[in-house]
Amino acid sequence: MMRSPGAARTWRDAKNVAFITLDTLFWSKKTIFVAIVSLLIIGLAVFGRLILSYHWVNAPFTPAQVFGTLMSTAVVHFLVVFVTLFYGTALISEEVEGKTITYLFTRPVSKAVVMLGKYLALLWVSALLVVPAIVLSYLVLYVGADMRPFMQDVGLLAKDMGIVFLALLAYGSLFGLIGAWFKHSILAGLVYAFGWEGIVSYLPGFTRKLTITHYIQSIFPHENTAGAIAMLIGRRTEPAEAVVTLVLMAVFFSATACLMVREKEYVLEQ
Amino acid sequence: MTGILAARNLSKWYGQVIAVNNVGFTLGAGVTGLLGPNGAGKSSLMKLITGQLRPSQGEITVFGERAWNNPGLFRRIGFCPEQDSFYERMTGAEFLQALLRLNGYGEAEVRRRAQDALALVALADARDKKIAAYSKGMRQRIKLAQAIAHDPEVLVLDEPLAGMDPVGRHETIRLVRRWGREGKCVIVSSHILHEVEAMTSNILLMHNGEVLAEGDVHQIRDLIDKHPHNIYIRCSDARRLAAALVGFDDVVGIRFHPEGDAVTVESRRPDDFYRRLPELMLEAGLELEEITSPDDNLQAVFHYLVK
Amino acid sequence: MPIYDLSYRHWSGEWTSHPYRWWVITRQGIRLLAQKKRFLFLMILAALPFVVRAVMLYFATVLGRSGIITVDARFFEQFLTQQSFFVFIIAIYAGAGLIANDLKVNALQIYLSKPITRRDYMIGKLGVVTFFLGVVTLLPAVLLFLLAVVFETDGKFLEQYYWALGAIVAYSLVIVFTNALLVLALSSLTKSSRFAGINFAAIFFFSQILYGILGGILRTSRVAWVALGNNLELVGNLIFGTEPRYQSPAWLSLAILAALAAASALVVHRRVQAVEVVR
Repeated sequence: MMRSPGAARTWRDAKNVAFITLDTLFWSKKTIFVAIVSLLIIGLAVFGRLILSYHWVNAPFTPAQVFGTLMSTAVVHFLVVFVTLFYGTALISEEVEGKTITYLFTRPVSKAVVMLGKYLALLWVSALLVVPAIVLSYLVLYVGADMRPFMQDVGLLAKDMGIVFLALLAYGSLFGLIGAWFKHSILAGLVYAFGWEGIVSYLPGFTRKLTITHYIQSIFPHENTAGAIAMLIGRRTEPAEAVVTLVLMAVFFSATACLMVREKEYVLEQ
Repeated sequence: MTGILAARNLSKWYGQVIAVNNVGFTLGAGVTGLLGPNGAGKSSLMKLITGQLRPSQGEITVFGERAWNNPGLFRRIGFCPEQDSFYERMTGAEFLQALLRLNGYGEAEVRRRAQDALALVALADARDKKIAAYSKGMRQRIKLAQAIAHDPEVLVLDEPLAGMDPVGRHETIRLVRRWGREGKCVIVSSHILHEVEAMTSNILLMHNGEVLAEGDVHQIRDLIDKHPHNIYIRCSDARRLAAALVGFDDVVGIRFHPEGDAVTVESRRPDDFYRRLPELMLEAGLELEEITSPDDNLQAVFHYLVK
Repeated sequence: MPIYDLSYRHWSGEWTSHPYRWWVITRQGIRLLAQKKRFLFLMILAALPFVVRAVMLYFATVLGRSGIITVDARFFEQFLTQQSFFVFIIAIYAGAGLIANDLKVNALQIYLSKPITRRDYMIGKLGVVTFFLGVVTLLPAVLLFLLAVVFETDGKFLEQYYWALGAIVAYSLVIVFTNALLVLALSSLTKSSRFAGINFAAIFFFSQILYGILGGILRTSRVAWVALGNNLELVGNLIFGTEPRYQSPAWLSLAILAALAAASALVVHRRVQAVEVVR
């Protein structure tokens, strides 16, 4: 039996798989759709800026409040979930349907490393599509004659980016696992994202900890309706614990996905 | 088990459907044709050999190592799949280079090997063209190229000639024969018998998931005792020849052809028949115009075994 | 002794008339989906709210209608609105791949080479989705109404709410056709059923989020028409004559749904072609 490859070789193989996957993931109709959603979010930021500038609404909004609303509802609870659901469930299943998985599985690269490489590609593509929406929205809302709020709240922006990255890690690994496991992975992903998380995150007690959104809400710097409702029902997890849990979730789901891909037979339809 | 490729009591089933049924064989260097009708289990067997499927029972080994979940083996195995699927956005060169990087080669080696493989399959001029723009024959050749680019010792080719034009087929057959002579273990599947005959006389015949026969096609034919050999003879007086032949006990049937100047003789001992025939023709004063054996070929072997 | 000719025999029976050719596609689509155990399980799950409501009806009768459970027009409207989760899931499962899979394998050419028109194909495919969506909305809602009538001993319910049956049918049809046409349109735009399914989900959820943001910024529910789900709910309020949750005008929601249905039908009509003309 051949010896197991070292870490350097594993990283190199995963990177090479990621480059192949990046090309197919990024240059697809999915990206157009995600780009449209990102543009709509930036459009909402523009709308918010117009309201702030021309006082269409008699309520003292600050750029931070508008940015916070955008981040909590549109970005973290929609865009991140959708991007990872869209790309994550397609990582393995699209290659199986397209019958190109044969080329990857008949190389001297472990199937687990193939999955790892695909997960890397997912993170890259997701970050490429989500980060500009966040940064541009921030710029649209803050850039003006008075740059003090921009500088004051740039820490918030950095924190939001960190949270978004953690959310991409956690959701990406979960949906990657769902895509590797189920045939109808989109449905399973939707049921989790908008069924399970939509209901269980509002349940009292320990059950809320069985969702990713609970930990994200625990470290989210902006107040939002969902978070407020959740606070009424139960306490948030400590931020440090929430970060560690999210990272551990990502590791667990991606490791399980790697194991699943390694042991599962993917029968290509004739 | 010895040999490069070996299967022992190998079975694979999907629920109630048995794709490969208790198959056993040993293959060494050279070209082996894997033959059978659609649904015989050829593709399933190839996927078992290349570790894409896990055996339900038994084992399949390559160089003495099990194929399933053994990625290291793929340094020595090249697989050309049947399906016409690619990363369409890539050019031919990019496709080969991407896969060669996964073989662990350095960048310079990747480029060199990709170039050599493209030249071998006559795609050097189309290296920078996107695969989506390739013709059917070019797509088939790029598939072959990715299988051979890393110079494997074992080549598993699933219907490699599908979609190729006659020139492409001729070139590919020539390549396959060359790889066999070079000492590689090449297993080629097809349901087109004359193509396989052009590449090799060593076959593995499958039907309904089982191996019906293994070995040289001519030897297999000889072993099929229950089917006498058919020998077609055209001569100056077919009826006189028939009269001369009918007394021999190995001759079990004589059939006259409508044109009247030919007979087909069924003989249980073709070697004795051939030995006897020249003397018989001379004694009878007959002129021999043509003699062939219509069933000393794959078609007949397949037909007899499958019936 | 007669020797029978076993070669090809021409059809000597009756030919079905053209108006019913779409039914062949619908019937086949229903049969294929009904063979899938997971889908059947989903349909059984979708029947559970009906069972719960039927039990509620029973207890309402036993405990008296003016008690804890009120059986009025809102009872049926709420049932239909609550079924929207299953409508969403079933529309994706049954509808996302209906045309996308045919496009993927170039089956449209085969379909349209038979003596059927593009309209037959579209109606046939629409029939598949509407059938299953109707099974989880119209059918159980009508059954609930009939149960309410049957459980009632003095006939007052029927006298008071006879019109609710028409409202049930109307609202069910709005829900069914809006979802069915939208998912078919998205299915016709791509060769990937996964892509169609997620686009369908995105339209629903993103429109809801858009309403959440706009409503939060503008501090009003007049913009509720932005969300597709809210439009369906507002139309339901209009049909059943119940108090709306949002301040947005119901006629606007009806107009939006009608426009969406028309646009979806147009998209499907444009996309269903035997060959693609590349200019």
